[in-house]
Amino acid sequence: MISGPFAFVRTTTFRLALVYSIIFALFSAGLLAYLFQATVGTMRAEAKARLESEFRTLANAWEQGGPTRLEQSLLERVLVDLRDFTYQFEDRNGRIIVGDMPRMPVQPDDGFGTVRIVTFEIERPGPEGGATITPIEGRLVRLGDGSVLLVGIKMDERIRQVNRITRVVATSAPIGFLLALLGGFFSARYAASRAESMTKTAEGVMSGDLSLRAPVRGSGDEFDRLAEQLNAMLAKLETLMAATRHAGDSIAHDLRSPLSRLRNQLEVRLRGPMDELSARETLGETVEEVDRVLATFNAILRLSRVNAGAEGKLIDLDLSEICEEMAELFDPACEDAGIAFSYQVDQGLEMQGDRSLLAQAISNLLDNAVKYTPTGKSISFKALSEGDHIVVEVQDTGPGIPDDDLNRVKERFVRLDDARTQPGSGLGLALVDAVAELHKGSFALARSDGESGLKASLILPAK
Amino acid sequence: MHVLVIEDDREHAEFIEKVLSEAGHSVETVEDGVGGLSRAREDAFDAMVVDRMLPEKPGLQLVEEFRNAGGTTPALFLSALSDVDNRVEGLKVGADDYLAKPFAPEELVARVEALGRRQISGEPPVTVLKVGDLEMDLLARKVTREETKIDLQPREFKLLEYLMRHAGQTVTRTMLLEKVWNYHFDPQTNVIDVHISRLRAKIDKEFDHQLLQTVRGAGYCLQA
Repeated sequence: MISGPFAFVRTTTFRLALVYSIIFALFSAGLLAYLFQATVGTMRAEAKARLESEFRTLANAWEQGGPTRLEQSLLERVLVDLRDFTYQFEDRNGRIIVGDMPRMPVQPDDGFGTVRIVTFEIERPGPEGGATITPIEGRLVRLGDGSVLLVGIKMDERIRQVNRITRVVATSAPIGFLLALLGGFFSARYAASRAESMTKTAEGVMSGDLSLRAPVRGSGDEFDRLAEQLNAMLAKLETLMAATRHAGDSIAHDLRSPLSRLRNQLEVRLRGPMDELSARETLGETVEEVDRVLATFNAILRLSRVNAGAEGKLIDLDLSEICEEMAELFDPACEDAGIAFSYQVDQGLEMQGDRSLLAQAISNLLDNAVKYTPTGKSISFKALSEGDHIVVEVQDTGPGIPDDDLNRVKERFVRLDDARTQPGSGLGLALVDAVAELHKGSFALARSDGESGLKASLILPAK
Repeated sequence: MHVLVIEDDREHAEFIEKVLSEAGHSVETVEDGVGGLSRAREDAFDAMVVDRMLPEKPGLQLVEEFRNAGGTTPALFLSALSDVDNRVEGLKVGADDYLAKPFAPEELVARVEALGRRQISGEPPVTVLKVGDLEMDLLARKVTREETKIDLQPREFKLLEYLMRHAGQTVTRTMLLEKVWNYHFDPQTNVIDVHISRLRAKIDKEFDHQLLQTVRGAGYCLQA
């Protein structure tokens, strides 16, 4: 188990965040290096271009007006404050004609006309006693009369910019890395806490509390979806567990009374006088009673399974066929009982269902109708297609059921007083209800359309 | 019939043995799956009754292995599991019938006897069934008794065919709903009885000798 405040360190999300931070850092380092190179390179190129242009202007002055014109141009330039360029013009003997510097910083060649690229530094006393060093790039040439001209461009401003960029790069890279790491930290901690809350729910459920649910934050993210699915699963489990518990309770409760009744009967007989005839009679009654208990037991078991959705794999079937077979099955029984049986079954009632369970549900409805309809009356059986539903309807003209009891009779073991004289487990309609639910349909009881009687409607979704 | 019963619950096994012996069959009982399988292979039994939950080798596996090894003895599963799915599972591995516990003794006898009759294979398929003077032509779908043609509804024809194929045996109401209507549940009311009485009215009413008998507490039997 991972726990404690640093549990997130071992989460996948955190590891991913770390990897991403490193990739991010490498990427930004590369990007900055490129930017640095590009900026500095451009600045150098620009400085060089300006230097070349200045040098050419002065060269023109020389060509057009000789040393006098050059000197003139230089003097004009030297007078300008805050200039980028620095100049030095000496005669062939090294005497300064015009110059910024006390002497020529670089030893010129002897050959005429060759332009040399030179770099050097000049040191000046700074404002507070220190010295400022200015790097210079320059062009040096010995002119036709032996004089020497040096034109330089100060690089200090550019170098300061380069340094600034370098500093920015040096400080921003770790900040970016830290931010990425921090982002990873928080997202990992979020994910870890969401997962942890679900783990806690699962632990709680395992320790027996099925009512626990994973928190849903309403953000609709994948954690919420997972939590919703988990909760739906838990809800289904809880229903199933409740159904199982209920079935167990029902079995215990509902089998206890017939069994105790049986036991008491046997006890009474055992105390009385006994000959072979009475013993036979007692045993015969006992077997009948036990059969009834077993039948009830089977019915409960089947009902519980249908309720839990365990029984019944739904397949494509034609309900018309089942209804016709049920009608055909019950028709003779009605005729014998002197009941007018009419049926109307639409063709092609296609649906997804469990053949045996549907047949049993319909058979239960017809069975009830036959049981409670007196001789001379009628039963109508219909299976009709209505939009996207199939309605199976059994109407009898028996005594019907009082409105107050209409819903109650669908519950397990509910038998109205009038029904006590008829055989039955009290589970028939409960099974119909469960079968309806299994097929995502509904089952309703109502007063018959005619003068008296019951209308049972089983509404099932069509395919 | 010589019946092999493979059932580990001794009281239950004794009950089955008693019920089958009383119906005139000889019974041998084995209490576990491995022993049951070897006995089934050694001797030619007419039918075997196999409990699904057995020590050492479950019933499903036993029947499956027996069938895979070429055993043809018809088998009936006994099981406390009565779901349609369980039934299908049982029939899939090669059992011929399936009976849920608890069962009525008559039901067991009827089903075991129905199994014994099924054994006759390798014979050319019958096209005419005869029980006494009642004749059914399966190809022409005609039924006659003493030269009198009897008109039957399709379902009545199926019902009579099943009864004729199991002539002399008792068949229960549940068996009829299963085999003739192909539905697996206990009919609550007398629906099957009514169909039988319809059929009886057609095949017996005009004649002196009654072929279709009611076996009290069990079912029906068609007998010459």
